[in-house]
Amino acid sequence: MSMRGRFLLSVTTALFLAALITVPAAGQAAGQAGRGGGAGAEGGRGGGRGAAVPPAGPIPRRADGKPDFTGRWDGSGGVLHNTVILEEHPGGFGIQAGGTLVVDPKDGTIPYQPWALAERNRRREDANGYEDQVGHCEFYEIARLASFAFDMMHSGPQVVINHTQHITRVIDTSRREHLPQSIRLWLGDPIGRWEGDTLVVDTTNLNGKGRMALGGDFYSADAHLVERFAMKDSNTINWTLTVTDPKVFARPWTMTSHDPMKRLAPAANFDGEDTCHEGNVDLVHLKNVYDQAHGNGGAARWPPVYPQGPATGGTR
Amino acid sequence: MRIRDLRCVVLAAVVAVAALSGSPLTAQAPAGQGFTPAKTAAGHPDLQGVWRAWNLAKYDLEAHGAKPGVPAGLGFVVDPADGKIPYQPAARKRRAENYAGTKDPDPWKNADPLVKCYLPGVPRITYIGWPFQIIQAADIVTISYEWSHKKRLIPVTKVAPPPDPEDVNNWNGVPRGRWEGNTLVVDNTNFNGYAWFDMAGNFSSPALKVVERYTLLGPDTLQYEATMTDPKVYTRPWTIRMQLQRQKDVGILDYECTAMLDELGIHHTWPREFEPPEF
Repeated sequence: MSMRGRFLLSVTTALFLAALITVPAAGQAAGQAGRGGGAGAEGGRGGGRGAAVPPAGPIPRRADGKPDFTGRWDGSGGVLHNTVILEEHPGGFGIQAGGTLVVDPKDGTIPYQPWALAERNRRREDANGYEDQVGHCEFYEIARLASFAFDMMHSGPQVVINHTQHITRVIDTSRREHLPQSIRLWLGDPIGRWEGDTLVVDTTNLNGKGRMALGGDFYSADAHLVERFAMKDSNTINWTLTVTDPKVFARPWTMTSHDPMKRLAPAANFDGEDTCHEGNVDLVHLKNVYDQAHGNGGAARWPPVYPQGPATGGTR
Repeated sequence: MRIRDLRCVVLAAVVAVAALSGSPLTAQAPAGQGFTPAKTAAGHPDLQGVWRAWNLAKYDLEAHGAKPGVPAGLGFVVDPADGKIPYQPAARKRRAENYAGTKDPDPWKNADPLVKCYLPGVPRITYIGWPFQIIQAADIVTISYEWSHKKRLIPVTKVAPPPDPEDVNNWNGVPRGRWEGNTLVVDNTNFNGYAWFDMAGNFSSPALKVVERYTLLGPDTLQYEATMTDPKVYTRPWTIRMQLQRQKDVGILDYECTAMLDELGIHHTWPREFEPPEF
């Protein structure tokens, strides 16, 4: 099958998953599956649109002089580019065309090693969409979380990010050493430090089970991620994510959010509840596609064993 | 006043009455009297940190003998004094049926919603055995749970009445917080009635109201109390109490329940069928 054909197929997978990721305000009403669950996305309701955000001013600061990130932020530009595909892509089948989010290398392409590019493209195929953890209501990956509004707050030396779908990241700025290598986490072990007005978040100890986007992009459990939250004024944070993983990529690369992260008005309330798993009526469709493509071996292939690439270059 | 607004007022009044009627033992001897917690920047008692229940509450809130895989132990019900959940007769029968349905290892056939990795509900999420972190901003308390990356966001200032239960009904309910001296009090309403309290089949209806009380007894000990009111299932309110320990060595890690099913080769693709609650 041509790559274009594969891409079009993957778009239908995107539509299945789009039903799961949905837009918070519409989710609860649209995806009800009985009383116990719906495809609603928890998170703040209301606020944002219509509610006033004061004009941008100087960087707000905490008692220790560091920037105060407290507030509600969004860098998605109102679209779900990050959850779909990270590189430049055409529109169609419900997906908006988009430019690349990759700022380094300059050509906007993720510098995969050949085996890893083949694996990315395999994951992108419609038949393998069932392998995507988000369809199972499991952790969004860090790059993917940048497509949704989030709330930040401080707790002593910890910077806390309340993301969509109940996901919370607690970033400790007082710790210097990562957890033992035997502890592997979906969102890794984040340690923060300050470089001027930039919060630098260093993440290791990943489990390598997450996808960066619906389009199949991935890194291995040996990846080293560095995020930079650079506050520019009271209403703007520039965010970048640099991925270093010699097992998967030919060189480190850096992506950003669709838009600079802009301050939103505080959420009107947090009364919604994410019931992605309790109402996950779409997963069976993804499994049916998976089973049809892989025959009776569909179930036998589960859970998937991912190719690990050449044995060289790993750090573990 | 619109009917819906009126309902909110009535609901708020019911919550207030429930709060007054709950926790009689606490009223006699306020918890944490001998310990003065530090204050947050907003002037609230500082309960922040990672906490964990190292006890047998997840198995059965009542005193119980040993069962397969379950150690015997005392219960956590401090009111009524007999330590038993004050079920109405039909509800007691239902509890027994619930427990009888917990023997099948197939998640789809097992009656306990937690076996399917469904949201544990309140108060069960507090003592299922995984730690949680309390994070206090000035106007909202976040409780982030390691189990399946769940969290609750509890407003503690500028608290609006909870929404109409016909509009919003949740596994974990809808929380409204307030400070009473050094105690964080959380009124929870808007439950959907599907969550259980433990592995013994203890349950409620959507009429459930839960008043939680979090009080520091010392730097590393957090007392947890919850009073359950549900006139459709119980003959009177009842209260559990336990102590939670501070976890100092590591923060919240992750336990993705559905991913554990994946690891076991169990496809969680069963139909999502939710019968209307019986009570």
